[in-house]
Amino acid sequence: MARAQLSLLERLPWRRIILVVLGVVVIAVVGIGAARTLALTPAEGGYSADAWEDFIVQGAAQGGIFAMIALGYTLVYGILRMINFAHGEVFMAGAFGSFFFADAFVKSGFLNSSPVLAVGILMLVSAAVSVGVAVLLERLAYRPLRNAPRLVPLITAIGASLFLANAFRGFFGPQPYGYPKPGVLAGNVTVLGVTLQRTQLLVLAVAVISMIVLQWFISTTRTGRSMRAVAQDREIASLMGINVDRVIVTTFAIGGLLAGIAGVLFALTFEQVQFNMGFKPGIAAFTAAVLGGIGSIGGAALGGFVIGLLQAIGPPLILTGYGIPSVFSLRDAFVFLVLVLVLVFKPGGLLGTGEAEKV
Amino acid sequence: MSEPPSAAGSDVMLEIRGLQKHFGGLYALSGLDMVVRRGEIVSVIGPNGAGKSTLFNVITGIYEPDAGDIVYQGLSVVGLRPFQLVKLGVARTFQNVRLFPNMTILENAMVGQHCRSRGGVFGSIIRTPGVRTEEARIRQRAEEALSFFGKRLSGYRLEQPAFSLSYANRRRLEMARAMATDPQVLLLDEPTAGMNPRETLELRDHIVRMRDELGLTVVVIEHDMRVVKGVSDRVIACDYGQKIAEGTYEEVANDERVIEAYLGTKAAG
Amino acid sequence: MEARGWARTGALAGIVTIFLALVGLIGEFTDVYLIGDEITFAGLMLVLPAVVAGMVAAAPRIEAGVRRELRVGEAAVAAAVAAAAAGGVFAVAVLLTDLIGVERIRTVFIKISPQLMDFLTFGRSTVGGAVIIVLVSTAAGVAGGLLRVAPPSIRKPVGTALIVTAMFGFLQRVIPIMFDQLVLERDWLYSPIYDGLTWVGALVVATVSAGVSVLYARFGGQVRESLSGGPRREGSAISPLWLIFGGLAALALLAAPLLLGSVVSEVLGSVMVFALLGIGLNIVVGYAGLLDLGYVFFFALGAYSLALLTGATLNAYGIPPEPVISGSLNFYVAIPIVMLIAAVAGVLVGAPVLRLRGDYLALVTLGLGEMVTVLIASPWLVPLVGGPSGMRGITDAAIGGISFRDPQNFYYLALAFVAIAAFVSWRLAASRIGRAWTAMREDEQTADAMGISTTRFKLLAFAIGGAIGSLGGALFAVKIGSLTPASFQVLISIQVLGIVILGGMGSIPGVLVGALVLVGLPGLLREFEEYRLLAYGAAVVAVMILRPQGLIPNVRRSRELQDEERLQDEWVKTVKEGETPGEVGTVTGVAP
Repeated sequence: MARAQLSLLERLPWRRIILVVLGVVVIAVVGIGAARTLALTPAEGGYSADAWEDFIVQGAAQGGIFAMIALGYTLVYGILRMINFAHGEVFMAGAFGSFFFADAFVKSGFLNSSPVLAVGILMLVSAAVSVGVAVLLERLAYRPLRNAPRLVPLITAIGASLFLANAFRGFFGPQPYGYPKPGVLAGNVTVLGVTLQRTQLLVLAVAVISMIVLQWFISTTRTGRSMRAVAQDREIASLMGINVDRVIVTTFAIGGLLAGIAGVLFALTFEQVQFNMGFKPGIAAFTAAVLGGIGSIGGAALGGFVIGLLQAIGPPLILTGYGIPSVFSLRDAFVFLVLVLVLVFKPGGLLGTGEAEKV
Repeated sequence: MSEPPSAAGSDVMLEIRGLQKHFGGLYALSGLDMVVRRGEIVSVIGPNGAGKSTLFNVITGIYEPDAGDIVYQGLSVVGLRPFQLVKLGVARTFQNVRLFPNMTILENAMVGQHCRSRGGVFGSIIRTPGVRTEEARIRQRAEEALSFFGKRLSGYRLEQPAFSLSYANRRRLEMARAMATDPQVLLLDEPTAGMNPRETLELRDHIVRMRDELGLTVVVIEHDMRVVKGVSDRVIACDYGQKIAEGTYEEVANDERVIEAYLGTKAAG
Repeated sequence: MEARGWARTGALAGIVTIFLALVGLIGEFTDVYLIGDEITFAGLMLVLPAVVAGMVAAAPRIEAGVRRELRVGEAAVAAAVAAAAAGGVFAVAVLLTDLIGVERIRTVFIKISPQLMDFLTFGRSTVGGAVIIVLVSTAAGVAGGLLRVAPPSIRKPVGTALIVTAMFGFLQRVIPIMFDQLVLERDWLYSPIYDGLTWVGALVVATVSAGVSVLYARFGGQVRESLSGGPRREGSAISPLWLIFGGLAALALLAAPLLLGSVVSEVLGSVMVFALLGIGLNIVVGYAGLLDLGYVFFFALGAYSLALLTGATLNAYGIPPEPVISGSLNFYVAIPIVMLIAAVAGVLVGAPVLRLRGDYLALVTLGLGEMVTVLIASPWLVPLVGGPSGMRGITDAAIGGISFRDPQNFYYLALAFVAIAAFVSWRLAASRIGRAWTAMREDEQTADAMGISTTRFKLLAFAIGGAIGSLGGALFAVKIGSLTPASFQVLISIQVLGIVILGGMGSIPGVLVGALVLVGLPGLLREFEEYRLLAYGAAVVAVMILRPQGLIPNVRRSRELQDEERLQDEWVKTVKEGETPGEVGTVTGVAP
């Protein structure tokens, strides 16, 4: 009788080999592309220092928006272990909701006479609509599925996302609406030697402030503590007297609040709203949340900025070197690629809990 | 291939040297040594949390040990995936009965034969004679394994979903499924947990039959001392992830350290 | 449910009606007639929420731990309250709209028009119209409530009659064509002026369907008994009943293009393409349990690789029409190559990715699908696939002079491929491989511990599913004759997933039904095109919440215990006297 043995083919650690090869290829492609791009003078198709500065600023501002949306994803995931695929539509709803007020404001001149108040009201309205949609989602689509196997809420969320986007399409039509910008936000401003658009400055300021406030809220207030408790162990939290349902609704509401504010910022930056504007930022924000470690607030914030910068700098830096035309048209593909690579190499994220392999 | 190869001449089926496994700060296994010889029935006992199930999980490849070696028939199997160990001839049952609830009883058992069959995509689509013969053989082996436990898991029951079985029958099905993998070593994790006294004694006899009629080497984690006494050639007692005693049932049952581990106090005086 | 509960239900229904109006489902269809020139689709949408509210309010109550059906009077009251609330809420909305001014509302909600208001107020003054709304809603709701508490001998026929009549009304584009093809008189059934059913026709349809329902209730059980031939024998999987249904279905599938004409055949062709995609995705999602949100990846890969292999040209302006890679193979030679490419791509893409957990896998696949979508439209790949303008000149897969671009011929080509794919899928499901997939799907870790190499089988599912998906893409390319990136959006992935889910994951007939419903119906009912995705989304959410196993679930997933009980009784009879079942004794027939 022969001894127990397995063929050499079966003994190789295939998974590790594939990952190493893939990693090497990615690093090589990135490195070579970057080197070649940087070697180009602006005349040859490269970029000036000013151009890079613009990219970085733009990436940071976009990142701020992504971060705010990402927080919504990560908060809901922390509590319910589900990905709220429809969060992009929550974002869109707020932006749209604020549009009609913005339109009225600009027509009556209010937008330019008291811009601070006007924009403040817009954010309030947007947040209210987003919170409303988010809470409705939780109540109607997610609550009945609290104890269902993981994939069921995900599929439901996809359906809800489709439904919401098309409902808004039905309400308001498929065309984009031009979002007005107060005059005071036009033009550039120089801060600490860096030139940025005023809108970008607003975005960064609001984003950073929101995140600080959120962090304070989660760590200090009683509700924040309850949220952390429910995120850790829902059953025990309910045994400790925490009203789990209410905490969950609050979580969705906070996510909606942030998404709504982000919606106004986005609308002011791109000066338009449309029924399908939630999809791409939603994916980018979700990527950000996963990159930073889903379930981690700091991770979502960090991830947001990282993704923002990556999608602003990545295409020009890496792809130009290979002579690929119109690198910016591939920006979305770039974000998706980052999503795939993050999930392949580090599903637990940079700051996350590392729970991604099938348990 | 339908029969796994086995070690030539050597008596030792499974050898565990200095096995360590920790989860964060918790040391489930801290230097465990064990030897299992062909045709033995070895019982592993110890208080809860002693690391017994972890031992099984490490042996079968579900966890990777942090240190130590696992040698099966002279081959080091650390780092192999669970399905590879099954192919080599090591099968197991779970402490908390993990069947495939929506598959029928027969299908559950037939899954066991998966690693002993080869039917590929094209063969399965056009049902070549080879594939058809193999399917018939798989079915027959599965029925054989099921019939080891008598009429309970046979007849009309074969087409019933596994979730409809009584608790004791589920445990039996799990064992039959493991046996259907044509193993050489069978690891049973608390097989009689939750069974009433009659079922327990019946299972005790079944385990002995596994060795006597099927030539299996069996390692059993057990809490019920009647079973341990009735089946074991050797007993190994564990606590805190280490072996604290080894020998026949009488030797181990009277060992001071074992008594202390279970009851917690030293005899006075 | 007490008065407050009823009112709440009604208010909710009223809000739903408002939603329907805002989104346009009422306003756009005021001239789509279902019956005569009185019953319009818009009218149906207006009262349906109230009817549902009435039915919900008339639901059985739980008193002292016991469920009790409501008496007729109670049900009427409950339904009336709920429906009146529904109508009331909506009426208030109408009044408010009038107060604020239709034109002003229209600047926000573009679907609110004077015509709509006219319709909603039934042509009278606003207040009068509002009153009518409340009255009509209440009546409809009470009708619904009464139907709910009616005894089954009344409820079933009436319900069936209503549903079938409504379906005939909806299918006003399809069924008349059938009649025309068979040279049958149809003006008695469908009004030539208004396109919907005539009252006479509606009455006939309702009566016939009610009659069938009554007959089925009376004799159906006996028919099923005699056809299923007693206790199921071991090993025999197909009962005569299934054979009859299957035979009829096959006949219908084969005869459809001839019966229904060219326009409908075109839609059916699309249905077949999606059914093919559904069968492929069913292997990945339904058999192996891997949630793939990026199936469009294989669809696009198949379409474009077929185009390139068979010599299609680029549509872009200012560049030579020949793609950088181009072949001129025959369609039937190219197909295996296309499928091979897809399978290999599936393995390459799947290898690093398939170890991820459910929702992460879903998102990675989504990302991959999206990447492909962006890439085929990018300026970078224009020399290969033509960018936004795409490619044209795809082969028409002609054999012996028969061009398969013709809708009716294409349908048969697609049907052939669907049949092959279904066969392959069926055989795999019943094989060792299918068993491995099912085990993996039920409990991946245990499957691993039982000797199944989960990685290998996941890759296998991915590769096979991908190959079938690419086949669908290739067929699609032939059907249209040209390709643009607009046809390859993430929406495709979601639609195919919807088909698989709606049909019950793991069930092939279910996939066919799903494709018919989700692709066929919208294709045939062109006016609803704009609302297709809205309905999709709502349907997916509804199915997930109410019935996750889909409409026609896989037999494995929902077992019938009635058969089991009968078989059990039979078995008990065969156990000999004095021997307790399951005693450890001699084992009959099989050696250990």
